[in-house]
Amino acid sequence: MSTRRPVAATLAVAGYVIMIVPILFVVATSFTGGSTLRFPPEGLSLRWFDAAVHHTPFITAMVSSLQLAALATVLALLLGIPATLAIHRGRLPGKGLVEGLFLSPLIVPELVVGLALFQQLMIGLRLDNFTVLLIGHTVLMLPYAVRVTGASLALADPFVEEAARGLGASPLRAFFTVTLPLLRPGIFSAALLSFVTSFNNVPLSLLLQSRDFRTLPVTMLDYVQQSYDPMVAATSTIILAGTVLVAVVAERTVGFARIFGGINR
Amino acid sequence: MISRRTGLLVLPGLALLLAGFLVPSAAMLLAPPGVSPADILARLGQMLTDPYDLAIIWRTVRLGLIVTLICLVLGFPIAYLLARSTSRWSGVLLALAIFPLLLSNVVRTFGWLVVLGSNGAIGQLLLALGLVDQAPQLLYTELAIVLGLTQLFLPLAIISCYSAVAQVDPGLDDAARGLGASRTRTFWGIVAPLSAPGIVVAATLVFAGSATAYTTPYLLGGSSQRMLSTQLFSYSSVSIDWAAASATALIMTVLVFVVSGLSSLAARRGRTS
Amino acid sequence: MTVAAEFQQVTQRFGDFTAVDAIDLTIPAGQLTTLLGPSGCGKTTSLRMLAGYSTPTSGRILIDGVDSTRTPPERRGLGMVFQSYALFPHLTVAENVGYGLKLRKMPAAERKRVVAETLDLVGLGHLAASRPRKLSGGQQQRVALARAIAIRPKLLLLDEPLSNLDARLRVHMRAELRRIQAETGLTVVLVTHDQDEALELSDQMVVMREGRILQQGAPVDVFPAPANRLVAEFLGYENFVTSADGTLRTVRPEHLNVVSEPTTAGLTLEGVVVDVAFRGVDRLVTVDADDGLGRTVRLTADVRDGAVTARPGDRILLSADQAHVVTLAG
Repeated sequence: MSTRRPVAATLAVAGYVIMIVPILFVVATSFTGGSTLRFPPEGLSLRWFDAAVHHTPFITAMVSSLQLAALATVLALLLGIPATLAIHRGRLPGKGLVEGLFLSPLIVPELVVGLALFQQLMIGLRLDNFTVLLIGHTVLMLPYAVRVTGASLALADPFVEEAARGLGASPLRAFFTVTLPLLRPGIFSAALLSFVTSFNNVPLSLLLQSRDFRTLPVTMLDYVQQSYDPMVAATSTIILAGTVLVAVVAERTVGFARIFGGINR
Repeated sequence: MISRRTGLLVLPGLALLLAGFLVPSAAMLLAPPGVSPADILARLGQMLTDPYDLAIIWRTVRLGLIVTLICLVLGFPIAYLLARSTSRWSGVLLALAIFPLLLSNVVRTFGWLVVLGSNGAIGQLLLALGLVDQAPQLLYTELAIVLGLTQLFLPLAIISCYSAVAQVDPGLDDAARGLGASRTRTFWGIVAPLSAPGIVVAATLVFAGSATAYTTPYLLGGSSQRMLSTQLFSYSSVSIDWAAASATALIMTVLVFVVSGLSSLAARRGRTS
Repeated sequence: MTVAAEFQQVTQRFGDFTAVDAIDLTIPAGQLTTLLGPSGCGKTTSLRMLAGYSTPTSGRILIDGVDSTRTPPERRGLGMVFQSYALFPHLTVAENVGYGLKLRKMPAAERKRVVAETLDLVGLGHLAASRPRKLSGGQQQRVALARAIAIRPKLLLLDEPLSNLDARLRVHMRAELRRIQAETGLTVVLVTHDQDEALELSDQMVVMREGRILQQGAPVDVFPAPANRLVAEFLGYENFVTSADGTLRTVRPEHLNVVSEPTTAGLTLEGVVVDVAFRGVDRLVTVDADDGLGRTVRLTADVRDGAVTARPGDRILLSADQAHVVTLAG
């Protein structure tokens, strides 16, 4: 950091404080021995971690959220990668419009999409809430699949496929032996981003809850509204630890910064 | 290789988009169960004249704009310093700025309950310093919402600005300095205009996100500081007023569309001039 | 002469743009044919149609006497070297070279032997286990060549193979290409915009412009007798002179000499020296000729040639032997 730019440096420090410090307070509070959200914490204990891992609604919701995120990610990739190929390599009328359609779930507010699915699919068509959540999350993840794999497709030398064809590979063979391996980092990035986004989602999932299937972030929100004890802090710390693990894996594989498109260091 | 059949691969995804997004959204906005488009229009008219509803719309727009401004003022310097720094710490700091994007909004917002709550860090600090007799109520205020939203969307602003600044050739800075421009003048005359498209993208993303966010106003604004998103939720799950829900959804959607439209217009104008 | 491939009235249009306009071309077997021309002349489009990456709008392409106009590239059995090399970045050098052999279901042991032989042929045996990214441009170019040769292609197609190499390496690789072609006896079609490359490498050179073939033949036949002004310009001719009767003649800068009195045979010009530039082996003299057309002519003179002491402003007399004056058709 440059100290010759005092104004910029001060603003930057303020930005980091706002981004990071509240998270540190969550971690600090989760180790409290007391029974309220209070700072500084009263004593040191792991009692709230113990409470969190034995709180059935949280555990059930955590499993549900992981399942949903995994399924939605796989589905979004299965639908999104072929669509990306069609958009970038196929002969498609209205290419720009089609690509725009695949990115459009990013523009409409998630809460509005959630309301639409709740009203039309859950109430209107009487679909169960897991199916509707899966549809909604897959729709929401499609833009990531299309955009991120599209970016790595655009970076790949288009002539490698032709080279494979010239050497005797059928179009399908060329795709599986050359194109797909080249897309692997992009697909990995898209999968990771989709999984995390789906796991953390609140606005889309908010209205799509039922007694049988609830997602973790929404369950935590409800819990915070009802009681003010540090169990949510402990749960948050567990989620933070999991997220750090994901980030480290991301950094070791594709490079953390590259996952968020446009940043190539 | 271009082939006709490759184009067909778009169909399964397109089918899901239609059935799971476009059709339900259109149906919800225009014709919810038992409600006619006229009812929605009437409710919309009511909202746009009723002082209570207008206050909520205005708060949503106002807080969205304030958060956008703060995110740019804090985010651009971070992006600029990171992009221009040669220090090995810049990689770590960049990762630290991106990492919160992976972390749950609930977890991030929950932190402010600990910081701003009546038994929280700031209140207790003020008490300990003897500056106040009673810990002030910082939660459930607009300030709390602005802080919470800034925390959520600052990483997004940093990333957009960073990609923009990183594309500006540092050689241009050197050239301007060599021609006699001061550091400040170089920044405002060269770097800022060239990274303007990225700044517009950042502003759009932050505004669209903060004007439609739910978790933050719900946890930090409570029932006293309602925004469009929290209203939408209560219309559709508490009072089940489809007309009001559709009208609110329409306002939110139009708000985001107008801002995205304006920003792409600005981007296009910037490119042609 | 055995014919390896043949273009019959082949046309390629992209929308309103005609990239290749009804060309007829014969590729003799065992020889090196170059397609030479400026960018946009249709040479790469022709090569891609031959390889099967694009289908002609009309006309036929025969390979080994068989109509292959619509055969997909994987069933043509040709080896192509791309300008960008198009190496598979996720495979090692040996895996790149073995890719086509694997598709031909060659047993692993035999494949290993052929890959090793081919890599030795291009002088890269020691880099078999490397990834393409780690290699220099020249090495990548050789891997691309080895990959194309390994499948024993009916034709070896090279799209501007040397254009991404630095000048010195480019000259070295020309010799390498000649050696490899001689050792393998392959039929080679090479696309280039560099006339020196075409002259040095070709058995047959085909000069193209705006989708048409302007001239074709052996370099020794084409170079001294360009068919028209376009070909002449492309081969480096300057100093175009129109006579009173309308015939267009040209002479290369190195064939103009400074003389003291006019000669009857050949071409004689008089003018004022505008600029003299020292270029190491020679001097480049620019002269404003006096025929009222304001024409500039250029000549080169050996630096050791003491006769050329002209300075800007001097009047000089220039002449060229009849043998070096080329009369052009139009």
